[in-house]
Amino acid sequence: MKIFNKTKKEVNRHQKALDELIRVVGQERVLSAIEDRICYSYDGTKQKVLPDIVVRPRDTNDVSNTLKIANKYEVPICARGAGSGLTGGAVPLKGGIVFDLKNMDRIVEICPEDFVATVEPGVVTKHLQDEVARFDLFYPPDPSSAAFSTIGGNVAECAGGITGLKYGVTRDYILALEIVLPDGSVINTGGKTLRSDAGYDLTRLFTGSEGTLGIFTKITVRLIPKPEKIRTLAAHFSDKDDAIDAADSIIDNNILPRTLEFLDQMTITAVRGHTGTDIGEDVKALLLIDLDGTDESINHEMSIVENVCKESNAFWTKVSETAKERDVIWAARRSISPALYNIAPHKINEDICVPRSKIKEILRRVDQIKEEQPIYIANFGHIGDGNIHVNIMYNDDPGQKELAEIVVNKVMREVVELGGSISGEHGIGNKKSQFMELEIPPHEYEIMKRFKSFFDPKGIMNPGKMFIK
Amino acid sequence: MELQDQNKKSDKELFEELCSAIGRESVFDNIEERDRYSFNGVKGESIPDVVVTPHSTEQVSKILSIVNRHNIPIRTRGAGAILSGGALPIESYIVLDLKNMNNIVELNARDLTVTVEPGVCIKNLQDEVAKSRLFYTSEPGILDSTTIGGIVSKCTGGMTGLKYGVTRDYVLALEIVLPDGSVINAGRKTLKSVAGYDLARFFVGSEETLGVLTKITLKLLPMPEKACTIVTLFKDIDSALKTTDSILVHDHLSLRSLEFVDKTCIDAVSDFSEMEIPAEAEALLVIDVDGNEKNVAKDISRIDTLCKENGALKTSIAHTDEDRNILLDIGKLISPSLSKITSMRLNEELSVPRSKVGGVLKNVYELSKAYSLQAAVFGQIGEGHINLNVICNNGETAEVSARNLVSQILKDVVSIGGTAKTVLQPHEVEMMKGLKKMFDPKGIMNPGRLFGNSSAHRKDAKSTKEI
Repeated sequence: MKIFNKTKKEVNRHQKALDELIRVVGQERVLSAIEDRICYSYDGTKQKVLPDIVVRPRDTNDVSNTLKIANKYEVPICARGAGSGLTGGAVPLKGGIVFDLKNMDRIVEICPEDFVATVEPGVVTKHLQDEVARFDLFYPPDPSSAAFSTIGGNVAECAGGITGLKYGVTRDYILALEIVLPDGSVINTGGKTLRSDAGYDLTRLFTGSEGTLGIFTKITVRLIPKPEKIRTLAAHFSDKDDAIDAADSIIDNNILPRTLEFLDQMTITAVRGHTGTDIGEDVKALLLIDLDGTDESINHEMSIVENVCKESNAFWTKVSETAKERDVIWAARRSISPALYNIAPHKINEDICVPRSKIKEILRRVDQIKEEQPIYIANFGHIGDGNIHVNIMYNDDPGQKELAEIVVNKVMREVVELGGSISGEHGIGNKKSQFMELEIPPHEYEIMKRFKSFFDPKGIMNPGKMFIK
Repeated sequence: MELQDQNKKSDKELFEELCSAIGRESVFDNIEERDRYSFNGVKGESIPDVVVTPHSTEQVSKILSIVNRHNIPIRTRGAGAILSGGALPIESYIVLDLKNMNNIVELNARDLTVTVEPGVCIKNLQDEVAKSRLFYTSEPGILDSTTIGGIVSKCTGGMTGLKYGVTRDYVLALEIVLPDGSVINAGRKTLKSVAGYDLARFFVGSEETLGVLTKITLKLLPMPEKACTIVTLFKDIDSALKTTDSILVHDHLSLRSLEFVDKTCIDAVSDFSEMEIPAEAEALLVIDVDGNEKNVAKDISRIDTLCKENGALKTSIAHTDEDRNILLDIGKLISPSLSKITSMRLNEELSVPRSKVGGVLKNVYELSKAYSLQAAVFGQIGEGHINLNVICNNGETAEVSARNLVSQILKDVVSIGGTAKTVLQPHEVEMMKGLKKMFDPKGIMNPGRLFGNSSAHRKDAKSTKEI
């Protein structure tokens, strides 16, 4: 557990902020006992830094009051949803306040006639998906963490997920935001309409801003009719390039699958035994393909997809007919995260994204890096949109962690050289801030920092994230 | 304007400096050329001092550094762009026309992306990507000659809303020349990227008040197997709206587009359209469906049934491309046809929650009646888009009263959760202005746009010049 060292002045300011928070926001909403603070010190990266104060707001007013106080005493403030982020977004690097938004979890309204819903940031994504499904509506962004991550966190990181190729990412579904700025003022961006002409697009500027500009208190999302049916096909290949060719051919045949997931040999090795299905030793790559739509369109597309896989040398394919069969096929994909620890006790999970035509090349280069270093790398992910999870696995042996970091660095350089992005969906946080300048040229980087100072001149919002300094 | 007076060079000197920077053939100071770009400001006719037509990013960069150094306001023009706002008393300015930057830079079919210069026409782009069985759709009402630069900088011409989202959802990356002449690249040519703030989409819809877009990378989609169009007529607006509800809300059918056309617009287009329209028709819907061949057939037949159940006077289904074009042309013909029946109209694009469209239309017609003015309405009502036109042929009094009518309508729209520029609170407007200043401290980029007068003032005698 790290504790951010504060100067005497800072300690003094924190104490004043705490007193005022208790007075204004209320004793029951403000925690400062060590056992409470420990619970808010970490996120999905397993980094731990102890916050000084935890505030649990109920509404926009609480958020505004808290920010006013934080701003007045220049106390850092770090917003937290489920704390499941993978780049350190919710870790209070400089101590200060952790803002727990889990209590703001109301679905404010679902308007089936307007195809929109408005929610508070603490709503769990899966809960929103389920609630709108009752109206036969669909909120498409589907990060693998949907069962526990919150909409607020999804918007803050601009989460992607498995449906990106066909349906796009979080920012494509955010219509309006209510935002509290660092000075406590409240702004509304966008509207409950698809088009908005209310000045510059602050909605998208704040989507993916990782809690560095302001706090969302209401989020209005766009919904679409729920596809009637989903069917899944699994295809096994003896060569990963064949699987990549198959993915290309599916799209070349003008089919956009709902999901198009790829697992490489190392990933398959890890999940083997974890899943209900037996995956033979001869399987070197696997594709999982979901098609959605009507019976007519799925039947038509499924026969093409299955043929294309066979033409690309898939030696085994299976189409699921029932929800139960789908579940079995998907079990392999779902078990990846825990199963990877079969390979080594630690992992660095990257989420690179390249233009799809560069997937073979980036995987070739990753292989080459792996051959040069005694380390395991498992690749899997959303091959349809070029978003591959490169997992660098390491153990506790001396030098392994450092080696893993060297490997990450090399991978990032290759990604940027191929015109890709260092993060497709996890965000930058503090884990990737060192790579920002690889991808973002100096002038663009400087403009981003100008945005930061414009909205947060005192630098209290999630300090230490996105930018190095 | 105060900032123009300092350091201002004579027109001749500016002309020569621009000539030596980008070549004499791309700089114009003859009155014929300048007059083509004049617009109607609050102080009457305003003619630019110089017109420049650059061919490359490098030339745009040179132009901007020159005008920035001399504090000369610049108005940008893409072909087919609609003049909007800009009613500031600018007495001296230059026009930057991007019509020569009309190359498709690269089409990456495998990546589903295309990079174009801003002057590329929608139609040219669509034809080019269709060769790779890809498509970039935009709403049927958008004229073929409208440019990509135009729709991206205004974020209009969405991908027909409910099914495909809007223009910004298809912009992946931008090359932008900032007012000081520096060139930045925002966004990434990948389908996902979250590194840093979303600069690319911040510029989408900024109406070139922050910089000039010189390259635009768009996301493409596979060409749908089949598209089919159905046009239906009703004897009252309510039946048309009820039909829309049945299709979208009850049956959850996904439409490529759904254009509503009111009586005034029907009358305006009827002389020009090849379609026969019964005299008693008060409302018309143009409905476009695409997708898998079997789905399209099923959806069209269902829509036909729903239209008839809701009392349609007539439905016409177009199965061939040729027939489809005749029906889709109705949408494209509306704006030019309105220009033929009136020399002056106020035009406002409204965006309201879909379920509020009926109420807004009712309000529009009632208020128009009270003001003794005629309103003409069309739009993609499936996504809550209403294109409002108030006809004001009878001189200045009519114009003043039309302005009052429009501002009353806007107020009402905002009060029911719709958007229009007036929706911003004073502190939000201040913030927008602060952001503008961050990029354009001297305020030379399209002054008056975005935060100027909200109603586009269409003097249609001029619109023929808006190439």
